[in-house]
This record gives sequence, C-alpha cells and structure tokens, in this order.
Amino acid sequence: MKILTFVKQILDSEAKISLKEDKRSLNFEERFSLNFFDEFAIEEAVRIKEKISNCEVVAISLGSKKAQEVLRTAIAMGADKAVLIETERYEILDPSYTAKVLSAFAQREGFHMIICGERAMDDENGVTGALVGGYLKIPYVGSVVRLEIEGEGKAVAESEINGSFCLYEVTLPAVFSVRKGINEPRVPSVTGVMKAMKMKIPVLEVSSLSPPTSKTQIESYDFPEKRPQVKIIEGATPEEKVKKLITLLREEAKVI
Amino acid sequence: MGDILVFVEHKDESVRKVSYEVLSAGKELKNFYSSRLYAAVIGCGVERISSELKKHADFILTVDEEELRDFVSENYAYVLSQLVQKYKISVVLGSHTGYGKPVLCTLAALLDWAILADLTGFEILGEKILFKKPFFGGRIVSHLSISGDTNAVLTFRPKSLKTGEGDFSGEIVRERIEIKKDERIRLLKSERKEGKKVDIQEADFIICGGRGMKSPENFRILEEIAEIMGGRVGASRSVVDAKWRDYDEQIGKSGKTVSPTIYIGCGVSGAIHHTMGIDTSKTIVAINIDPNAPIFSIADYGIVDDLFTILPLLKEELKKAKEQT
Repeated sequence: MKILTFVKQILDSEAKISLKEDKRSLNFEERFSLNFFDEFAIEEAVRIKEKISNCEVVAISLGSKKAQEVLRTAIAMGADKAVLIETERYEILDPSYTAKVLSAFAQREGFHMIICGERAMDDENGVTGALVGGYLKIPYVGSVVRLEIEGEGKAVAESEINGSFCLYEVTLPAVFSVRKGINEPRVPSVTGVMKAMKMKIPVLEVSSLSPPTSKTQIESYDFPEKRPQVKIIEGATPEEKVKKLITLLREEAKVI
Repeated sequence: MGDILVFVEHKDESVRKVSYEVLSAGKELKNFYSSRLYAAVIGCGVERISSELKKHADFILTVDEEELRDFVSENYAYVLSQLVQKYKISVVLGSHTGYGKPVLCTLAALLDWAILADLTGFEILGEKILFKKPFFGGRIVSHLSISGDTNAVLTFRPKSLKTGEGDFSGEIVRERIEIKKDERIRLLKSERKEGKKVDIQEADFIICGGRGMKSPENFRILEEIAEIMGGRVGASRSVVDAKWRDYDEQIGKSGKTVSPTIYIGCGVSGAIHHTMGIDTSKTIVAINIDPNAPIFSIADYGIVDDLFTILPLLKEELKKAKEQT
C-alpha cells in the first residue's frame, strides 16, 4: 500500500501582513507554519501504515524551498519519504493549478490512497482533494472523521456533511480529505526528528509536471472593513443592562 | 458570459436557504448578461421541491431518479455535467457547503473548467466581474477575476449573499438522465446528528460559549436560548479541546466560519483564532466579566458582567421579544 499525503506550508496566522502600494501584492513577515489540517492527514496516513504491513507514506508539498520544513515535520511524524515540488516563492495559487500539478505528480508516483487536510488556512478554498479526485477520476470523500482499511483495496470512510454522518465504502485508489477530530496528531519523537533532519528531500521543478496556465487572477487585495467601535452597555443593575441590549438590538441594529 | 446554472441544495424536502442566496446572485448575473438562469434540482422524490423555485429561475431542471437517493457527489456531478452540455451552460453556481463543495469540485474537474471557491460576493465592472474572497482567515480580502471566456464553477460562502424576491415565472422541466452510477463508492448509512436543527453555518442566531462558561453543564442555558431564537450553540476551540462540546460546533480558524445576523459570545475571550470565524456576522454581542477581553474589540455591543447573572435575564428578555414578533 502506498499513501500520498499533501502538506502545505502556509503563512502563520500571527505573521504580519500588509498591502503593497498598488494593492496588487502583499508584504508579509516571513513566518510560516504547517497547515493545521494537514497534521491530521499525516497522522492518519502514519496510523494506517502502523496497522498494516508493507505500507509506505510519501509526503508531498507544492511550495517554495522553505516548504521543506513542513516535509521534515511529516518525516518526523513517521512518513517514509518526502518530495518538494518547488515554486519560486510563497504565494496564493489558482486552485485548479495546484490540483493539476499535484494530480500529475500522484499519477507519476503511483498510489493507493491520497490523504489531505480538508482545507488550507491561507487560501481557505478546501477544494484540492476533491479536484484531485476529479482530475484523476477516482472517488473522493471529504470531511472524513473516521477512516478504516477494509481488506483488499477497499476503505470505509465516515464523513460529516452538513450535520449528517455518512458512511461510505470506497474502492481504492481514492482521495480523502480529513478534518480535525479524526485523530490526535502525535508530537514527533526525538528519533523521528533526527531522521527528518538527516533526510535528503528530493526537489522537483514544477515545470517537469507540465503545469497549466492559471485561468483565474488576483486583481487586488484589501483589508476588510473595520467594525465600528464597541458600545459597552452601562446600567445600574444586570436587568437594566439586558433590557438596554434588547432595545439596541431591536431599534438600532434592527436584528430582532 | 452565457447561460447560468445553479445547483440547488435541499434538505427535509425543501430548498435550503443557501440556494436562494445563490439563485439571487444568479439573477443578478443573468440580468447583466441577458442570459438564462437555470436551477438544477437533483435527487429522489424532489418534484415538490422544484415547484418552490418557480419564482427564482427561468427553468427548473428536475432530475428525479431512484439512483440519486443516496448522496454520492460523483453521481450528482455527473448529472450536472450532462445538464451543462445539453443546455450549453457557461457558469455553474453553488454553495460552499458539505454538499455543494464536493459536487461542484468534481464537476469543475470533469468539465475542466476554472473554479473559484468560498466567495463572499462580486462586483460587475463593465465587462469584468470581480469576485470577492477572504484570505488568511478574513485578515485580507481579495478581488479575483476569471480570464476572458473561461467557463467557471463558483461556490459562495453561506450567508454572504442577500436573498432577493423572486419574480420569475419559471418553467419546470423534467429531465431524464441515465445515471452512470459510480460503483466504486457506495453510501452504507447516513445518520442525522442534529435532528432538525438548522445548520450552524446557516443559522441566523448563534450563541457561543467559551471557557468562561466554566463547565459543560452550564451550556444548557445556551441551548435553551438557541432554541427560543431558532438558532444554534457554538463553541470556542478551548471548549472543544476540553471535550465539553463537539467539534462540529467549533467556530473559528480551525473550525467553522459563521455569519449569523446575531452572534452572542459568552465567556469567549476572543482570540484571533476565534474572531476570524465570526467577523462577517451582522451584529456581535459580547458578554464577559473581563473588560479587557479582546472580544470587545470586534463586538458591536458589550456587557461587562457576570455571565451567570446575565444569561437567565437574557433568556427571559429574548423570549419576550420573540413572543412580541
């Protein structure tokens, strides 16, 4: 069994971001982290590997040279191999571009399962897994909360869809995107970290995977509109405060 | 831009509110481009649902087949692709939800169209349309465009578009499509966890509890208030990590992004992880004993007081307010 897991290095949520003067690009503090949901994907792949014999986990990242860091985390957590598909710099990419490049790699590498996180916290698309399933013409299950391998070439995946829990039986190869709660990602062991530090990570040029031209463009960036200053509701008693709040919600905000 | 197709979502035999939002976006695009607006209703036993939509599209394409009883996104995407080809559609719109997302992504891949996901609005500027989309947890808003005549699939974030009055006199068209059921994926069972409660991402009212709620038992009053208001209870990350509440109620960066009309944070400190998930709410109310809690910097109204004194009073007042309307 061969499992691929897609991991992404994203701008850390605490990193400072500002707009360049023309608003067409961003300045940001060089602080990156492993996408939160991808930890669950790596963990799930490693857990499957630990349960069955003859299983290999390969972590793949599409990103800048610096993205090697998240691949090392994947190795430290128990992935066997890692490959970086190198882009020039960190930037938000067109969703079908990303999915096509990853699909091309997966096809070349060969696999039985692809496990990825349910969305990246920078572009917030949450579409890569489903698109890869579509491009590779294999089944896809999203928002997976439980994943089991069932005998030869089959998996059972439980997925949360708008408040319903749906149990699917899937013939492999297939793509799964996992959400928080599927497992508790491990803290890498010291030997894992040592292994990751020593590991040589092969780098592939994006161009070797015949990337498509992006059909969508980012025209400009803005900051969201600022919310008005808070009104702290004063009152002699709690009763008065609550009554005032209800009046404001009704007459000023007009929401009840 | 040519004709437009909206993938309609339904639940409990009626159209989900998110789909009315998308249909109103479809109407705006249709008016601008003088094109036709189609709505696609797919499933099993969905004929009655189609009649709900007569005022919201020119044509309501209804695909009602036994094979579509189970939700398998591959099968739904296949049906949509057949409709797209038959009616020469050039844009497909839908909601960025648990149903819409997998179906529309699979469709975009099948057709090899461009995709823009989780959009919160758009602006028509001459011949160009700029689509609005938040990045980095809403810290940045981007404006995206699609090249030239590229056909595209677009998904919109629930509750980010206004629903308008429907003024169409639409025609229901019954479509017979031979379903090539994907045998590689099969639904074994499906279980509704929340009963008939509204989805948290669709809720107009959310009352969210944080660490300040002190214990899981204290969430009962939040449940009661949510029920009075026909809304949902939300939870901060620390509360979910402490296993007081389930993950599907988690609001924030690593949980759900919500945009209710009223959000009330109770004992929620308002760390950036959390506020990223609520800043598109219409009115934010914060109740916290700590006047320096960061939640007050994003709230519209704040009460600095003891939660356990305020909440019973709030419950009574909201009940009264609800009875008056």
